[in-house]
Amino acid sequence: MNAALAPADFKSPLKPIWCPGCGDFGVLQALYRALSAVGRPPHEVAFVSGIGCSSRIPGYTTAYGFNSVHGRALPIAQGVKLANPHLLVIVAGGDGDGFSIGGGHVPHAIRRNVDLTYLVMDNQVYGLTKGQLSPTSPRGLRTVTSPLGSLEQPVNPLLTVLAYGAGFVAQATPADMPGMTALIEEAIRYPGFSFVNIQSPCVTFGEEEQQLRAHKTRMKTLGSLGHDPSNQLAALDLARAYGKELYTGVFYRNPDPPPTYDALVLQRQAELQRGEPRPRARVLERLVQR
Amino acid sequence: MVPVLGIDFERLSLQDALDLAVLIEEEARDRYVEFAEQLALHHTPEVADFFSRMARIEERHRTELLQRRRTLFGDVPSGIDRRMIFDVEAPGYEEARAFMGVRQALEMVLASEIKAHAFFDAALPRVKDPQLQSLFRELREEEVHHQALVRAELARCPEKGDDAEAYADDPVAQ
Repeated sequence: MNAALAPADFKSPLKPIWCPGCGDFGVLQALYRALSAVGRPPHEVAFVSGIGCSSRIPGYTTAYGFNSVHGRALPIAQGVKLANPHLLVIVAGGDGDGFSIGGGHVPHAIRRNVDLTYLVMDNQVYGLTKGQLSPTSPRGLRTVTSPLGSLEQPVNPLLTVLAYGAGFVAQATPADMPGMTALIEEAIRYPGFSFVNIQSPCVTFGEEEQQLRAHKTRMKTLGSLGHDPSNQLAALDLARAYGKELYTGVFYRNPDPPPTYDALVLQRQAELQRGEPRPRARVLERLVQR
Repeated sequence: MVPVLGIDFERLSLQDALDLAVLIEEEARDRYVEFAEQLALHHTPEVADFFSRMARIEERHRTELLQRRRTLFGDVPSGIDRRMIFDVEAPGYEEARAFMGVRQALEMVLASEIKAHAFFDAALPRVKDPQLQSLFRELREEEVHHQALVRAELARCPEKGDDAEAYADDPVAQ
């Protein structure tokens, strides 16, 4: 453990305004601990978020932060990372921000493999706007926009990101603080796009059986099932249980991570600085020689 | 859930044990400070005041333990840090509720004191050093004393009527 940085070094003086009992309080504490364990100082870390309860996280840290526009956290974070590849970039948001409004950005962030950590606080409802149906709301959920119960099949975030080829996919719950802290730390350390789906229930608009007290009895660690996180097919199979079982741990970790997009960009910049001719310059040279 | 990580109780020194005890009190103090802030923000001032009082009590315990540690070991750097402990005596974040009553808050505190007692009780057989055994026994008995104090307060608290949730409107869309 790096003794130089304490979790409190990442805590800003701004007080969270989440409802008491919200799962996001635990996520924030786990983030402080994970960041102190990773050991990068706050000025080397940038948080980018969209809109929603969980998207308030950048303001609660001493790192750089951008509480951006709804659903656009991933493209902005990719821009931040490419502008300054030395920053550790963490994206935080909810299930609506990530899989509804911003859903179109998820596959592209994954296929580019920009070195980002994407933390989705999946509460299965739009909490900030007071309890509407969200993309991960279970079928049958009664909300103000589905008073007779939802007719829609929910998005499965785990299956989605695995299918698009994410190199690190995990699920956590604030009901297991040590487990969640370790998973966030592992995701941050993974070299490439990493995704953690955090089942962070909404205490005000969420279902009673989805609250953290229920998680404590329902959750099963993937380790206890003997899951091998390097087995992508097994990960896909286990991810199908989203909404039925609460599995926590690493679903998939690519044992041989490919180069990240930002590393490739740096490599290309270095090539150009070494004076190796650019393709366009070669064409110009040929034209001049004629 | 394992409330401590990376601590081998069989090899724990007296200094580390005192540091652990200090951090357990510190974590509880910080949690009650946060709960006081949360409840003040959510228009539940009586319970916010109660949590502020709890934070002061935990701070007093922390200071007493810290004094003992300093008397015995001065400012020798600690081998224990906050990242190793998870809600040993601090109530979990999930326990707080907007508009909760004082009785609910007292029940939460009692559950936390019981949890802390269970922690020291479980750790005790793993500790080999007689000085440490004596310290852990003392800390465990402290938790029994605290439980008695909370139970006495609970006995004075009305069974019902202070829970604002009973008359709060259901949340609605806007």
